[in-house]
Parts: sequence; C-alpha cells; structure tokens
Amino acid sequence: MAVDRRMVGVFGVAFVLRLLLICLFPALPDLLTGRVEVSTPVNSFKRLQEGLYLYTRNVSPYDGGVFHQAPLLLPIFSLLPDIHSNPIPTAIFYFLVDLVNAYALVTISESGQSIQSRLHSAVRKHIQWDGVSVAAWFLFNPFTIATCLARSTSVFTTSGILFAVSNAVGGNSVNAMLALGFASYLSLYPALLFIPLVLVCYDQRLESSKKSPKAVGYVLQHAAILAASVVGLLALSYLITGNFWEFISATYGFHLLVPDLTPNVGLWWYFFIEMFDSFREFFIGVFWLHLASYVGGLTARLRRQPLFVIASLLGVFAIFKPYPSISDASLYFAMLPLYRHLFPLMRYTFFAISAILYSSLLGPAFYHLWIYAGSGNANFFYAITLVWSLGLSILLADSIFSALRDEWEQDHPEEQGTEVKQV
Amino acid sequence: MWSVVQWGALIPDEINLGTMYRLNTYPLIHTGFFHALLNALALTPLLERFEAEHGTLTSIALFVGPLSTFPAGIYLLIEKVILHSNTSVVGSSIWVFLLLGSEAIRTYKSNPHFSLGPYKIPTWTSPLFACVVLSILVSNVSFLGHLCAILIGYLFGLGYLKFLVPPEKILRWIEGKLNLLGRLPHYISVDQKTFGRYGVLPSSNNAANGNNGTPMNFLGTNQRLDDNSRRTYISENALLPGQVHAYFTGSEQNIFRGYKQELQTLLNEGRKAEDQEAEVEVTPAASNKVHSILQAAGLKVATQKYEYTSAGITHQGENIYGIIHAPRGDATEAIVLVAAWKTADDELNLKGVTLALTLARYFKRWSLWSKDIIFLFTPDSKTGTQAWIDAYHDLHPESVQPLPLKSGALQGAVVIEYPFEHHFQKLHIVYDGVNGQLPNLDLFNTAVAIAGGQMGIGANLQEMWEHNDSYEARLQTMMRGMTKQGLGYATGAHSSFMPYHIDAITLQPKGEGWEDEMALGRTIESMCRSLNNLLEHLHQSFFFYLLMHSNRFVSIGTYLPSAMLIAGNFTIMAIALWMRTGYYPESKPDTPAGEKSKSEKTSKTGAQKIEKAVKVNETALPERLMALPLTLVTGLHLLGLVPLWTFNNIFHQYFTTATYIFVVVDIVLPLFLAALLSNGLGVSKPIIPQQYHLIKSFALLLLGLSLSTLATLNFSLSFMIGLLCAPLSFIGRLQGPAALRYGVSSLGLVLLNLLSPPIVLLGVCWYTGVSVETVLTQAAFGWDVWGMWTQVVVWCVWWPAWLIGCVQLGSSIF
Repeated sequence: MAVDRRMVGVFGVAFVLRLLLICLFPALPDLLTGRVEVSTPVNSFKRLQEGLYLYTRNVSPYDGGVFHQAPLLLPIFSLLPDIHSNPIPTAIFYFLVDLVNAYALVTISESGQSIQSRLHSAVRKHIQWDGVSVAAWFLFNPFTIATCLARSTSVFTTSGILFAVSNAVGGNSVNAMLALGFASYLSLYPALLFIPLVLVCYDQRLESSKKSPKAVGYVLQHAAILAASVVGLLALSYLITGNFWEFISATYGFHLLVPDLTPNVGLWWYFFIEMFDSFREFFIGVFWLHLASYVGGLTARLRRQPLFVIASLLGVFAIFKPYPSISDASLYFAMLPLYRHLFPLMRYTFFAISAILYSSLLGPAFYHLWIYAGSGNANFFYAITLVWSLGLSILLADSIFSALRDEWEQDHPEEQGTEVKQV
Repeated sequence: MWSVVQWGALIPDEINLGTMYRLNTYPLIHTGFFHALLNALALTPLLERFEAEHGTLTSIALFVGPLSTFPAGIYLLIEKVILHSNTSVVGSSIWVFLLLGSEAIRTYKSNPHFSLGPYKIPTWTSPLFACVVLSILVSNVSFLGHLCAILIGYLFGLGYLKFLVPPEKILRWIEGKLNLLGRLPHYISVDQKTFGRYGVLPSSNNAANGNNGTPMNFLGTNQRLDDNSRRTYISENALLPGQVHAYFTGSEQNIFRGYKQELQTLLNEGRKAEDQEAEVEVTPAASNKVHSILQAAGLKVATQKYEYTSAGITHQGENIYGIIHAPRGDATEAIVLVAAWKTADDELNLKGVTLALTLARYFKRWSLWSKDIIFLFTPDSKTGTQAWIDAYHDLHPESVQPLPLKSGALQGAVVIEYPFEHHFQKLHIVYDGVNGQLPNLDLFNTAVAIAGGQMGIGANLQEMWEHNDSYEARLQTMMRGMTKQGLGYATGAHSSFMPYHIDAITLQPKGEGWEDEMALGRTIESMCRSLNNLLEHLHQSFFFYLLMHSNRFVSIGTYLPSAMLIAGNFTIMAIALWMRTGYYPESKPDTPAGEKSKSEKTSKTGAQKIEKAVKVNETALPERLMALPLTLVTGLHLLGLVPLWTFNNIFHQYFTTATYIFVVVDIVLPLFLAALLSNGLGVSKPIIPQQYHLIKSFALLLLGLSLSTLATLNFSLSFMIGLLCAPLSFIGRLQGPAALRYGVSSLGLVLLNLLSPPIVLLGVCWYTGVSVETVLTQAAFGWDVWGMWTQVVVWCVWWPAWLIGCVQLGSSIF
C-alpha cells in the first residue's frame, strides 16, 4: 500500500471535519441518533445502548423487544467506554470505520473493474475518477457524515459489503465470501448480493489464471464458504446469548416479518400500517419477493458487468428494503462515482438530484409538522418518502439505462453517437 | 267614586300637560284580575331575563320611564292626530310586546330565518304574528298599542335607545348608598349583569362591501378577498362555545376587590421599602401573597426559579403555579391559565393577576372540571412561561429549575391581561406563536364567539382597533399578521406554549368602555368550560391561516401557492442555468455531446416520443467544472455561521456597531471575492463563464430548496425573504463594452447593497423608529430563550444567496 499524499489529505480532512462537527455541536450526534431518517429499529444506536445495558447486566439483550441487532455487536461495544461520560472514543471508532470503508472504495476503484472487466470494456474509459476522488465523494457526502455521527450500526454492514466487493475485485474470493457472510449476519439482506459477487470473483479468477474452474462447482464452493462463515458467526452469537431461537426471531425474524412500523424513509411502514392484518403475511411475502427478484433479473441482463449489478442492487435495497435509512442511500451514492464514465450518458441526473435534495430538506420539515407541531399528519411525511424513493429510482433507472447503452455501444462501435429512438 | 283605571289609563283625549303622568302609569293598571294575571304570566319570564342582563336598577328606570313613555307617545300620535279616535289603553302587555320585539331582533341577528316549507320567514316578524293572533283571539285588545310597543322593542333591540340608560356612575352611587345588594333579595347589581350592557350579538358590517371609492381599488376589491377567504367556523363540535351560563358574578367581585387591595398594598409597601423607581417590579411580598392565596384556596402550589442570560443581559425570576385537580378527571389532561405580572407591553398586570387568583378560588369550588386547571403566575411575559413550559416537558436548560409538581398533557392555555384600572371596551386576542406557529383556529374562534356572541364584548386582532371590514382594513390585518409571523418572535406569554403543540392565546382588554373585570372573568370561565369539554387535542380546524378579520380567514390552500411560486422561480432559474452550461455557443459551433442530451431533456419530455441525441464525440465533451462552484457555494453558506454566531453571542452594547461593520463587509466582501475569482485565485486557471453560471445555478437551487421548505413551516418568512431575494434571479455577470459594464454593475451593486440583510434591518428600524440595538437584543433573546430561528434563515439562506448575487455582478468589473 503506497501511501498517497492526496489520500492522506482527504482522509485527514474527513476525520477532522467529523471531529470538528462533534466538538462544535455536541448535541448533534444525539439529535441525529433520534432522527427516523437515520436511525431505524435495526440500526439505531439508542437501541444498541439499551441492548448493551441489558447485556452488561446479564439479562438477555432481546428482553423488552427494543434491541434487534446482531449479538456480536454487544461484546465489541461493551469494550468501548461509557457513551454518556465519554462519547469521543465511540465517535472516533465510527470515524475510523468510515475511513476504512473509504479505503475499501479506493481499492475497488483502483482495480479498474468498474471500467474494464473480463467481459466488458467501457467505451469512455478516459472519463473516470481516481480512487481518492471516489473516496472523497463518499467521505464528504452529508448522508455518510450524518450516518457516521448518528453512530448507526449500518456502517458495519456497509463495511462488510464494501470489503466483500474490494476483496472480490482483488481476486481474494474467500475473503470476499467471509466479508459478505459478516454483512449478511448483521443485516440479512446483503446475502442477496451473493450471486453477482460470486460472478465478480469468477470473472476475476478466469482473468488471472489459465485453468478455468467449473462454474457450478465454483459457485457451490463459495456458497459453502459463505454458509460456513454465517454459521460460524451464528455459533458465536449462540455462545453469547445462550438462547438461539430468541435471538434468531428478534433479529432475522424482525427483518423478515417487519413488525415495527416506525416511520422511516422507505415504503414499507405506511403500506403495512394501512394493511388489514389478514393480508399482512401475503404482502410481506410479495414485498420480499419483489426485492429479491431484482437479483436474478439484473444479474442475467447485465451479466457482463457483475460489479455494476452489485452497485445497482445496493440502490434497489436503499429504496425497497424493509427498514431503509439514509445510510443505505449513502452506500449507493458511494458506488455511483465508480461509474463516472456513464455520467455523460445519464439523462435525468439534475432532476433526480433535485428531487433527492428537495426531499431531504422537506422530509425533516414535514416530520416536524407531523410529530412536533401537530399541524401536519403522516401523509405529509409519507409523501416525501415517496419523492425520495422516486428520486433514487430515477437515478437508478437512469444509471442502468446508461450502463446498457454503454454495453450496446461496445457491441456496435459504428453506431456510437447515433440517436436512440424510444418508441 | 275615584276609579284607578279612569285616573291612570292612557286616554288620548284626556292627555294634557297636567295629565302627562298617564304616559307612565298606564302599564301598571289593569282592567281586571284576569287581565293582570295573564299579563303578569307573560311578562315575568321576559322581564326577569331583561333584569338579569341589565341589572335591577336599570330595568326599573327603563320600564317606569322611557319604555312606557315612548310607546305611549307614538300611540297617542297615531291615535289622536292621524286616526282622530279616542281608545283608552291600560295594561302591561305593552311591555310584553316591547320585550318580544327586542328579543326578536336579537334572534334575528344570530338566526335570521326560519323556514316554513319553501318560504324563508325573517325571525324579526314573530312578535307581529303574535300581535295579530292575539288581536283575533281576544276581544278588547289594542292592536295599535301593541304595534307601537313592538316598534320601540325593535329600536331597543337594534341599540338605538342606548342613550336612555342611566349612567353607571349614578346607579353605582344609588346602589352603594341604599345598600340595595344587601337589602333586596334577588337584586341584580350593576356589576352582576351577565351580558354586555346592550347585549347585542356582534354584527358583521357588510356595508363596506359596496364601498367603491377606495384608493386601493385598482389593487383589488373586497369581493375578491371574499372569494379567496372563508368565514370562520367552529370545527370541533365538543367545544360548544358560549353554551353554558357563566356564573362568575356577584360576590366574587368582593373577593376580587379584596385580593386586589392586598396585592396593591404589598406592592406599594415593597416599592417604598426598596425605594425602587421601576413601577412594574414585583415585590417578593406580593409573590408570597399569591402563594398563600392559592394555598388558602385549596390548590397545590409550587414555585420554580429560573435564570436566562442573553446578549449580556440576565433575566431571572420565579414562577408560582397552583393546580386544581379535576374532580371528574384522572389528571391526564390540563388547561393552563397564565397571568404574568408584566404584560407583553411591560405594564403592571395587577388586575389580571388578581382576576386569575379570584378565578382560582372560584374554579376550585366547581365539581364539573374534567381536566386539571393550572394557574401560572410568571414575573413577566417573556421568560416566565418559557421556563415553565420547558421544565414541564423536562427540556429546560441548567439555569432553570425543574418543576416539583406536574399534571397531565396540556390541552390549551389562556393568558389573562388587565393592566389598567378603568373599564374596557373590547378584547384584543393575540395568537401568534414563536417561529410563526399558530394555535388551532378553533381556539381563536372560541374566544371570538364567547367574547362577541355570549358576552357582547367585541373582539379585535392584530391591534386593529377600528376594523370596519373594508378592503384596506382587511389587508392591513393580514399584513400585520404576516409581519409578526415572519419575524417569528413571541408576541406574549402564550407564544412559548406553541412549540409544544399547546394551543394558546392572550386576552387583552383594550379601550375605555363598559366592560369590567367580571366580564373578562366570565369570558375566561366560559372558555375554560369549552376547553374542559374537549375530548381530544384541538386538531379539527386549521393550523395554517391568515386572519383578515375576527370572522374571516384565508386558508393555507389559498395562500401557500404564492410563496411556492416565489421559491419555484429560483429553482426554475437554477435548472435553466444548469442547462445553459451544457451549451458552448462561443467556443464551438458543434454542440458537444453528452451535455446536449442533458440540455434537451426537459424541453422534450412532454412529447410522446422522446428523441435523444447522444453523440459520443469524446474529445469535444465539455465537462462541467463543478469543484470550484460547489466549494464556493458551500463555503459561503457556511460563512453565514459567522454573522449568525456574532449576532447571537456578543453583548448588546455592540449590536449597533456590529451592524455597521457588516454593512461595510457586505460592500467589500463581494468585490474582494469577485476579484479573487476573476484572477483565478492566484494559483489555478481563471474562472470560465460556465463556472459563473454553475455558481449561480447552485446558489439559486439552494435558495429555492430552502424557501420552499420554509414555506411549509413559516409561510410569511419564506414569502418576505423570497421577495427580497427576487432580484437575484435576474442578475448575473454582465458582458459588453467595459464602460457600460462598469457603470451598470456599479449601479447594480449599489442597488443590491440596499437589499442586503443589514441595510434592510437598518431601513426597517429607521422606518418604525425602533433602535437597532433593541431589535437585535430581542432577536438574540429569541434565539437563546425562545428557540427562534429567524436568524438562521437570514444568515444561512438569505445572506449567502445575496452574497453570491453580488459576486456575480461584481465580477463584471474585473
């Protein structure tokens, strides 16, 4: 690892900026921790504190139905000093996690996989950002900063995913699977990334070595590694909690069945508030199926760019997963700059970004009107989460369009620059 | 034999100067027992009601005097002069019809018609029907006499005969001298009359609608305002305003006087002892007295000390509050009655505090409360309630003591003010909260309905003492409301409740008139009864409204588009500029590729078939150079924190100086930045026109975003800032010959500087005659204590946008 001066600069400034923010506005972390846009039931730092309190007093952390996060977080956080008397070490721990995530992004970017992979080579190779710029986009994204300051545990899932990807593009497929196992253990949904990730590893393997492994065997082998890593982590968790089914139902059951309908930026809560109980199970099934269905479709259609499939799936998760927060959006925004060469092909960036900006300002305002001022109602906030999702969807659809266009231009070099007619 | 009837009856031919007594005696004389009995049966309920409204003495004076004489006079006139006949009249039925007539007018005002099939019959005609029916059914009835009585009744009901009532001073004197209250059973004193003196329901003055010759006619008409506004109405059925009888009368006044005397003495003593000049300083002895009175009345009492420091001024004091636990409730909900020792205008609120004390004692004895009632006595209207309400919700700062005693969720608050000795004429209702938040319109309507409808006291708003419902008056009311909302400061003790979603208003007696503290007390009693009825928090009616009269408002759906259009203008301009950065008319004739696709995107989105020109002519592809514009715009917005911090944290003596310094900074800084940008910051390449467009685009985008968000929170502020920023859409870097550029941009800069935040502040202060220091001290106080964020909007939204506008214009010089 060659220490790059620019990288050190960016990382240093990002670190100092975060430190300055918590020193100048000591109330900011707690404020952000309480925001529904940042903290959901499955990543809230407040709930983690509750679980930690129970855990350190030898009570099952899942008693009381407040804590729904993975049990392995508890021993890690019990090592950190008490958050009320000394919040800085915890904050710095989170800053470091952010920096580590950014470093993983640098690795991904510098592998060049987003531009040139086994089956695909982008047409506009010269338009790209280097790893440090990509990391800077991630580190200085207000959503990332807000997530980091709110000490949301989503950052660990983000780490898992980013390291899985960075190891995959680096050809280190076993580590990739282990990292993905960690992410899936924490949040369940990253398991959906398995297929595109294995494809990234597979392509990488084919490129680097002459003898090609059998595809089916390769996939099965890696599935086994993933399963083993998850099982290992579950076993550890069992050791910690002592009651296997209790923690499974409190964590993964909570993810799958969506019993907590606290408002968030996603689409599920309002839908299930309105739902009659008799239809609930059916629609939970439909919603999960909908979420999972993108994996197959995107992977098949964009077979040549599995890394792009991962990026797009992260965008899909940010919109359609049960408890989304802005940290999911920030992860998607972190992956997008890897595809800088697609930006000229995108058509609605300004509109999408305006929609996202509008909703990120109006969201808190409407939430305030609903909850605090009492002069609005739930529909105000839900309308804004719809706009937020719309903005993200436009961005996502637009980026997929440009990726497809890029593939098409690669296949038809003579057609470059011709008009696309949409009928 | 001397006949009483012959002596006292109203016989037209017998009337001369010597027999004028007949004009007043005839109602007392009846022809027989049954005549008297029937009349007495009809008269008793009507007269009883009249007496309850006007007091015993007034009733006697009126009925023995003018209300007998006037109908008789008219009767004589018609009977003798016009009809030349001589029908004698006796009996009190004349009074019955007079009272019926006056009642009918009152009914007509609240309920103008009753429907009989398809016909709408005005209610004022009902005594006429009665008169006709009676004439048909009973023989020997004077139809003409009754008609005359009804006529006088109408006149009385319409309030034209007010002048007949003996002055209150004389009545009081008689009352006092004869001790009538003590001697007579069922005596209704001057102070006990329940309704307004001439208990007439408030009428809306529609005469102004046809008023054409107004100087602002070219702007609009009342008709247009009518089309865009609605009459207020009570939306929450549970409130039932004015449906209960208010019993706060009679002996309570003695208690009021007693309490007032005690407090007055203590205040005077304290002032002498401490030799203080400040008239409104509350002595500890007086506070202790409040404490002991509340305790004696059987309330749970507690105190809370607090201290705030803002702009180098320390505000401290002690709140006293007592809680009546609801006999029929479970202490989950409460109503707050606030009396501050100093009113919002810093006057001594002695009668208000006394009234609250009297009400506390009075309410305690009622068993019908289903919500707790909290009586809060604060030293002033600015800090006291804020400290109390913060502590009530456990959100108080260190310098404020927590509350030892609490009740349930607060449902509403009413602030009582009565800062003078004389009687008042109208109630002024203050309703604006901190940061432009308003109470539910139902609360305001309840106050108006009770004050106007039940008590007969008119209600004013926004200091519009003479509101004739004309176009100008309506506009002025709205303007004042919007100014207060936009500035977002606390307009009274009630304002602090608003951020906690507790609807609150202040009732201020104003003017010199007939109404006394008992009338105010009854109004508050009736309001508490209405709030007591609530089954859930006030939520039915509007939270966003602009009032143009006490009975007319504009709802959010009507007015919000205006602010959104202003905010939208910036966004549209930002999009236009963004697209423009895609073109390079001056560099290459061939429009480069990817950018063109972007620039064309919206122009064609409407079409069914969307054509996209996507050229991949990479070499010519102009990238938008966004790093510098993004950094500059973000940086300047963050720079806004500097004045924000400065104006909220320095000592108040330096505010004026700081303002002038900022005026200078605002002149120099844009030129400096413009020079820096034009010369490429000394290191990098000079800035290109595209980047100027991008800077402007980002700045306007942010401005539009912020203002449209703000419009949902504080419409007026967004509207005002939007108007002040409107020129920023249209200015940019100038091109053309140097001389022209210099001239125009210098002129433009001067004009723009006139619209800069500090200059606007100075201008407004000069116009209103308030010192800059006062305004800024108040603003800093608002920031520190009330949680007011008008400054954030000024310094972090308006100022950066303005600054970037100036930099754009200034860059044409360099």
